[in-house]
Amino acid sequence: MTTKRILILAPLVLTVILLQSYLWVPTYEEQAKGNPQRLHQYINASIGDAAILNPILSADSASSEITDKVFEGLIDRDEELRFRGRLAASWDISEEAFFYVNAATDVPGLDQVSPRAIIDLIQAARNQKARFSAELQKTLDNIVTVSLVSARTERVTEQIRDPSDDQKTQKIDITISAPARIKLYLKTVDQDLFVHLSQILGKNYFNSFDGAKFLVTTPAVGTDQLNALVQKFLPAVEHNPIIEFQLRPDVKFHDGHSVDAHDVKFTYDAIMHPRNLSPRVSSYEPVKEVLVIDPLTVRVIYKRLYSPAIGSWAMGILPEHLLNDAALKKEALALGKDLQSFSMRQSGFNRHPIGCGPFVFREWVSDQYIFLDRFDEYWEGPPHYEKYVFRVIPDLLTQEMEFYAGTIDSYGVQPHQVKRLKDDPNFQSFSGTSLGFSYIGYNVRRKPFGDRRVRQALSMAIDVNKIIEYVLYNQGERITGPFPKQTDFYNPSIEPVPYDPEGALKLLAEAGWNRNDQGWLEKNGQRLQFKLITNNGNDIRKAILAIAQDSWKQIGIDVRTDLVEWAVFIQERVNKLDFDALVLGWSMGIDPDLYQIWHSSQTGYNQLNFVGFANNEADDLIIKIRQEYNHAQLVEYCHRLHDIIANEQPYTFLFVSRWTAILDKRIVIKEFDDQANIAYRKITPTKTGNYTFHFNKWIKLAQAPEFAP
Amino acid sequence: MISFIGRSIVQKIITLFFVSIVSFLIIHLAPGEPSQVDPMNPKFTREMVERFREEFHLDKPLYRQYLYFYRDLFSGKTISWKDNQPAFKKIWERFLNSLPLFIVGTILTWTISFPVGIRSAIFRGGIYDRSATFFSYLLISIPGFFFAYILIMFVVNQFHVPVIGMETFGIGETSGFNRIMDRIWHLLLPSLLGATAGIAVLSRFVRSQMLEVEGQDYVRTAKAKGLAPDQVHYKHALRNALLPFVTMFGLILPGLIGGSVIIESIFAWPGMGRMAYEAILARDYPIILTLNFVSAVLVLIGTFISDLLYMVVDPRIRL
Repeated sequence: MTTKRILILAPLVLTVILLQSYLWVPTYEEQAKGNPQRLHQYINASIGDAAILNPILSADSASSEITDKVFEGLIDRDEELRFRGRLAASWDISEEAFFYVNAATDVPGLDQVSPRAIIDLIQAARNQKARFSAELQKTLDNIVTVSLVSARTERVTEQIRDPSDDQKTQKIDITISAPARIKLYLKTVDQDLFVHLSQILGKNYFNSFDGAKFLVTTPAVGTDQLNALVQKFLPAVEHNPIIEFQLRPDVKFHDGHSVDAHDVKFTYDAIMHPRNLSPRVSSYEPVKEVLVIDPLTVRVIYKRLYSPAIGSWAMGILPEHLLNDAALKKEALALGKDLQSFSMRQSGFNRHPIGCGPFVFREWVSDQYIFLDRFDEYWEGPPHYEKYVFRVIPDLLTQEMEFYAGTIDSYGVQPHQVKRLKDDPNFQSFSGTSLGFSYIGYNVRRKPFGDRRVRQALSMAIDVNKIIEYVLYNQGERITGPFPKQTDFYNPSIEPVPYDPEGALKLLAEAGWNRNDQGWLEKNGQRLQFKLITNNGNDIRKAILAIAQDSWKQIGIDVRTDLVEWAVFIQERVNKLDFDALVLGWSMGIDPDLYQIWHSSQTGYNQLNFVGFANNEADDLIIKIRQEYNHAQLVEYCHRLHDIIANEQPYTFLFVSRWTAILDKRIVIKEFDDQANIAYRKITPTKTGNYTFHFNKWIKLAQAPEFAP
Repeated sequence: MISFIGRSIVQKIITLFFVSIVSFLIIHLAPGEPSQVDPMNPKFTREMVERFREEFHLDKPLYRQYLYFYRDLFSGKTISWKDNQPAFKKIWERFLNSLPLFIVGTILTWTISFPVGIRSAIFRGGIYDRSATFFSYLLISIPGFFFAYILIMFVVNQFHVPVIGMETFGIGETSGFNRIMDRIWHLLLPSLLGATAGIAVLSRFVRSQMLEVEGQDYVRTAKAKGLAPDQVHYKHALRNALLPFVTMFGLILPGLIGGSVIIESIFAWPGMGRMAYEAILARDYPIILTLNFVSAVLVLIGTFISDLLYMVVDPRIRL
């Protein structure tokens, strides 16, 4: 019977065809051993694919893993997290400061306030410093030149927001007739310059300057808007920090074109161009202008003191000749696209980048892999690996299997696997603390969290060590404040809040909360009751939720909990400040700028200081930290701020998690000693735990070497 | 017949219009923001978020956004927010990747289920039937991802061959035939896993259809006539039992676009399912909506085809 035969034969034939293909597939051994090329490749796996290979446009970690290899910035951070030059051979930070001649106020020792007289007064003070306090002497020493900027008159047109309707803007004509200004050129940035100078010019010299007198608007505007315009066009004093980068000569892009100051300026312009919608705009917003002095010198002038801005020059530098208007126009024409709407975002460059970093882009197959070749003309000498391969493997267990099979070179160990894999003699392992921490945040606007003692008591009632032990499988460390634990800014002298339920009860009793006959804490007949929430889908936070609830119940606090879907959690609860307490985490950069998360001006809707923390000294320190360019001084401010925040406990700081990575044991650092002999060295992590720091010197050997212990 | 086709097309276009509205609304009303305008990223200032919203037309009322989106869709200008690639190009690339998985999976499902189901029906209650039932329920109940892990571990540990991805990583330099065989090997596990649940369900269905037909008078008549058992089962019974499967055939079509999120993720297969899933996580509305629209079109075409097929195979139906 034909039908029967077909029905039985078809699946059999199909199965045979499928199964026999096994015979043609290379085994893992053949791939790893029979392939000498494999030793010259470094293969890395990632959960997600890169989105856009352009350093100024990308915002995801997979893309930056590739752009970091293909592009190079002016500077980056060394083993100790200090800045070191890359494309920039050196750089110099100085400052230009300005202030308006204030004729409205008396200056001690001057009959008549004229610009010339002020300059002479400062010059005279510089010549006989001994009369003044030490801090003023330092400030005067720092001044290189004092000069006059003559009075000016100008007309500008400004778009401002209509105060009655946030959506509308209004066009305003402004006539400015500014008085003369004094310009001071300083060797180093001095945020206290004007504070100290007021010892000479009089206490109210700077703050009594009324810019509104020199500014006329048509039509007239409200006071708030007028003040904003005065701040913009006629600030009494102005700090303009300047960074001058000296570029390394003879650095080339992968296409042979040399890198010069115009590329740096182009990169800045591209970031600021509204059409490119770069997610990095905010880091460059304080820049006033970027000037090309000569092909190897570029000067960046800032509008105001903003020390974290230096770090932004780690941004990869784009090749101007491939992305400028002419090049984009040519590309748009070739593709037949609309010239008007074609921007860098649409350019094919983003899928085929050309930079000046240690690796040259070769191929990208979406959701499968990205291939990079080494750049033989890399200025620091080419990397030892010939190829860098980025594989997209979305499943962690699959990644692990591929690692064991030798088809990827490293694997990020999950917390529950650390015990098993960390000391496995087949691999080398590295671990360190992450950037970022988990916390329980209290809405200090609400009762009872307004009382510091209550917040401290809540922190004391939770045994964080137990959370680390049981929830994180010991892959976490206590943290006491908002700075990354591996940086100098973190204050190591602050002790974590101890687990002390008795002490907590004592503190709560001081605050007026006492246990009633049923064991609940009460004050004026009201139970201590609140709701702790977190987002759904994060098992660790869910576990913390349960542990915190249980710990607090034990000392008589009536805690309810709720899990909310992420988007609703953020939009409806966090952004609208509608919560009592929440479990959440921050991931951070190395910069100590805490303005958005801790400054009291950031406590409104949709802002990040959603717990409502407000402390005058802290506000002051946060501003000072943003403006301080001296590292030692910065560390001092940070330690003090850390102390204040730890003492106030608006968060219960829980932990920072530890990561562990394992690497093929055959990967080592290859170096040359003085006689140009090859020497192999074990890969050692830097002080901050970064084991890939020397990646360009890595190489894989056929056999795992023995190192003397 | 012609009038049926005409009527049916008009109806389907109306349905499609409503589908487009409803799916657009659901996706835009669901909580969450595209990752480009994520309010929780401290690096994004308010001005930037607003600029992005303007660029993506997110600041406009919903009906305007709807018009903008479908205008771009029909003029082929839709681009993904994630990487600025044209949506159709992205979908087409992934579609080509998912297609072999889909084809092999479907062929496996349909070729294996029939012999298994028919034999169960013929020897109803026997040891074969019982074990087939047992295994079908086992395969239906076992979670796909779990089964996948077990299979991967088994194959990798026993045979030491790669099973991840569309081809062995780095095979680029080898000859054509080896490459084809390598690709077939990499198809085997994921398509088998994709087919397991289908085989289990479909073979059950074949069995019950066959049993129903086998109890009919005309089958008894055929047996009484003295026809050979094979003749009775495969000619008289099977043909009539096949009718409902014709309709199912049309409905496979939308499966083309669906792909399988879990299988594709586990096997690092760059297919449609994974792309759709990632687009949903990143709230990449253009990709989600384009996929949604294409699959709605395919569902409608599928039902249309199965209507037509039904008419062709069943002489009792005349429209």
